[in-house]
Amino acid sequence: MANIDKEAVDLFQQKAAPVSIKIVEVPGLDEAMAYALEVCEKKQPCELIPVAEGKFSAGDGGDARVVCVPNLSDKEYKTFADLGQPKGFTILRKGMRSYLSGIDVAFTTAGAAIADTATTIIESISEEVRLATMLAEIHVIALKKSQIKKSSYDVEDYLQKIMEKGPAYTAFISGPSRTADIERVLTIGVHGPLELHIALVEG
Amino acid sequence: MQSAKSMNEYHGEIQESLDNSFLRQALDKFAVAYKANRLTIFADINEKELIKEIADAKDESLDKLEDLYVQFKAEAEKRGVQVHRADTAAQANEIICKIAAENNCKRIIKSKSMTAEEIHLNHALEGEGLEVAETDLGEWIIQLRHEGPTHMVMPAIHLSKGQVADTFSDETGKKQESDISLLVKVARRELRAKFANADMGISGANFLIADTGTVGICTNEGNGRLTSTLPRVHVAVAGIDKLTPNIHDALRVIKVLPRSATAQAITTYVSWMTGSAEHSLNPDKRKIMHVVLVDNGRTAMLKDELCRSALRCVRCGACANVCPVYRLVGGHKMGYVYIGAIGLILTYFFHGRENARNLVQNCINCEACKDACSAGIDLPAIIHEIRARLVEEEGAPLSSTLLSTVLENRKLFHSLLRFGKFAQRPATGGTKFIRHLPEVFMKGQGFRALPAITAKPFRDRWAEIKRILPTEGKLRVGIFAGCAQDFIYPEQLEAAVKVLSANGCILDFPLEQSCCGLPVRMMGERKAAESTAIRNIRAFDPARFDYIVTLCASCASYMKNTYTEVLEHHNMRTEAQQYATRVRDFSSFVTDVLGLTEENFTKSGETVCYHSACHLCRGLGVVKQPRYLINAAAEYKPAPEEDVCCGFGGSYSMKFPEISGQLLDMKLTNLEATGASTLVADCPGCVMQLRGGEEKRGNKLKVEHIAELLARQLK
Repeated sequence: MANIDKEAVDLFQQKAAPVSIKIVEVPGLDEAMAYALEVCEKKQPCELIPVAEGKFSAGDGGDARVVCVPNLSDKEYKTFADLGQPKGFTILRKGMRSYLSGIDVAFTTAGAAIADTATTIIESISEEVRLATMLAEIHVIALKKSQIKKSSYDVEDYLQKIMEKGPAYTAFISGPSRTADIERVLTIGVHGPLELHIALVEG
Repeated sequence: MQSAKSMNEYHGEIQESLDNSFLRQALDKFAVAYKANRLTIFADINEKELIKEIADAKDESLDKLEDLYVQFKAEAEKRGVQVHRADTAAQANEIICKIAAENNCKRIIKSKSMTAEEIHLNHALEGEGLEVAETDLGEWIIQLRHEGPTHMVMPAIHLSKGQVADTFSDETGKKQESDISLLVKVARRELRAKFANADMGISGANFLIADTGTVGICTNEGNGRLTSTLPRVHVAVAGIDKLTPNIHDALRVIKVLPRSATAQAITTYVSWMTGSAEHSLNPDKRKIMHVVLVDNGRTAMLKDELCRSALRCVRCGACANVCPVYRLVGGHKMGYVYIGAIGLILTYFFHGRENARNLVQNCINCEACKDACSAGIDLPAIIHEIRARLVEEEGAPLSSTLLSTVLENRKLFHSLLRFGKFAQRPATGGTKFIRHLPEVFMKGQGFRALPAITAKPFRDRWAEIKRILPTEGKLRVGIFAGCAQDFIYPEQLEAAVKVLSANGCILDFPLEQSCCGLPVRMMGERKAAESTAIRNIRAFDPARFDYIVTLCASCASYMKNTYTEVLEHHNMRTEAQQYATRVRDFSSFVTDVLGLTEENFTKSGETVCYHSACHLCRGLGVVKQPRYLINAAAEYKPAPEEDVCCGFGGSYSMKFPEISGQLLDMKLTNLEATGASTLVADCPGCVMQLRGGEEKRGNKLKVEHIAELLARQLK
């Protein structure tokens, strides 16, 4: 049984709300996947952005939803694809450079998390991870409760190991992309996701 | 970007800002909201302790910066990154242009970098025919408008959504509505194409971690991630002061930086790039990554004992966020590239004396920046030091030389003050204010009435006062008068004498004392600052006094906090320390030392509001005591922004009357709104400013020193 710091989990949930992170609790990874697909089903089709004058990278703005799962294992990917394909979704693991106009959902699994800033850490040396989590309109992260530590100092060893080994691209993500650059009005979704969902997985 | 060639031109620029009603409103709203949000976001951490830790760690890093550089370079290169070092801005630009040429890059996207602004990188790149697009929303807006940033974190804070809509309409060739969420969408759309087609990305860096060769970047928009992911080539450009030993140090700074910058617990994204990451378009499937470390005077600053702490700066912008002058004039008038208090300093070091000369004068010395600084930098002290250097290099203005000469000679100074009372007679019309001074002496001073010099200064009354005072008591207290109370408001001192002598103090007033020296220190007159300090230290023999009490917050905090520094290289350093230890302000002396409580006062129904003097609340950390005393003697009516500067700032109000007057107006509007009948402050300078303003506004408030209220209500 994984070691869960209940206080840290509560703190994470408490700190997530003010930074526009939506949290759902699910029993396992399969349910987290199902949740991501449900989110995709309910959302408006992706608002594609031209990558040059009048030119889109992929997709025709029609009904085919695109979901990218860039850091799932082979087995996890199969489960996800089996759940998603019957819904008519395009499920991808790579090839994000062909989707610079945007995709509907990115689903990723987290490496660790920091409760007091509602931060999820995702190792992103893979270009696909970096692109999918920026190009998606909605990013859904599966995070195990046991991965949540109270403060950033508590994940120091975890980070140090990754960085010592290198090369690495380690991402702290603490909400959807946001700006307050015009009249200091908080606006969500500048360059990256418009929504960030975290599926908190037991264990 | 402040570009005035002369002080007159600078005043003209300042007036433009003061007349810009959108700017004024935007910055006012920001100043008030920031302070409230900052309090909330720092509530769950020990701010002061953390800032001290950051300051210490930064100092330690600066001590071994060369080692950190060598280590960072080795570790980053081990992981496939090329590390360059540029001694000057020109060299840095050259290196980056060369990287672009070698990799055949034509289109460049940038995420925010103050260092790139510092070295005017865009200018250099465009000079090579390269296409450059900023991708941080605020930076992009000002790039399209050909402006410089007005805030280090929110570069376009000076613009309205209407102005942004106009700019975007021009850029896109179609009419854009002034709806913020739609405007953000325009940026999302327009910039995506730039991201997709760029071959080089340039970012800044918040951290360069030596032991793993990691580059750390904080952004909210996520543009830093796209900039460092989409193009084939990524160049991170940063000052060498961003080198830090390990991840722990970086994580510590992140606890404070976003809180200080925008009152966020953390920025939405923090990206840690250790080595060159995957890139599918390059033949070896690795991104081409370069780090350019910019020196541009930083190594020289390291050797500058008095100013090197400015290199601790983490670029949070808090010093601008809390600056009352920034709030009035905005970043274009309060910085060259770097903005706010740190901007005044860095302009001198990075962009030269010519650009700094006027700017460094525009600090009112309220210490709000020092109080909010993420890295515990004593910003006002460094600004004073720079003024001193400018004086030494280029000679002092006549007014400053005159003041120094006079202050260095107490007898001359006091004779002049005495002479003043005769000279002013035609001007006062027998009132307590100077009313008819010729315009040449009163330029821009119409916002307040200036007080008249008293007929009989405190020093001439002392012998008489002393005769009836008790000679027995528990504490021997020396009164330090300061110029304003001795020669303008002796009644304030008499009130204090009443309170102190009734509560066990044996008082004395050494006649050899003179001005505390703060005015000459503010003007950068080093020698005069030394000699005034020495005079006062000699006047108060430590064997004769348990305490030195002053009713002037500025004298108190200056003598207590700065005398040892002023005399650091003088053989009287020990005496300065003894002196500083004995100095106390009136309010905290009355409560904390004499132990007076509400029992000692008759509480009246008089409604009293309070102005918290900068040098009392921030300079000395005295916050609760005066409010407690007011409530013991009367009905205390709290006002908004009690701790914001009244605009006096000593000679500042003469130098920048247009700003001083605005600050005073805002202050009195807040205080009058309490409906109180009386206003008290702990500082004769503030009383002078506030009373002068009330005289012009119709005396809705009676303005006095807290000692006067307490003396009246003393049982």
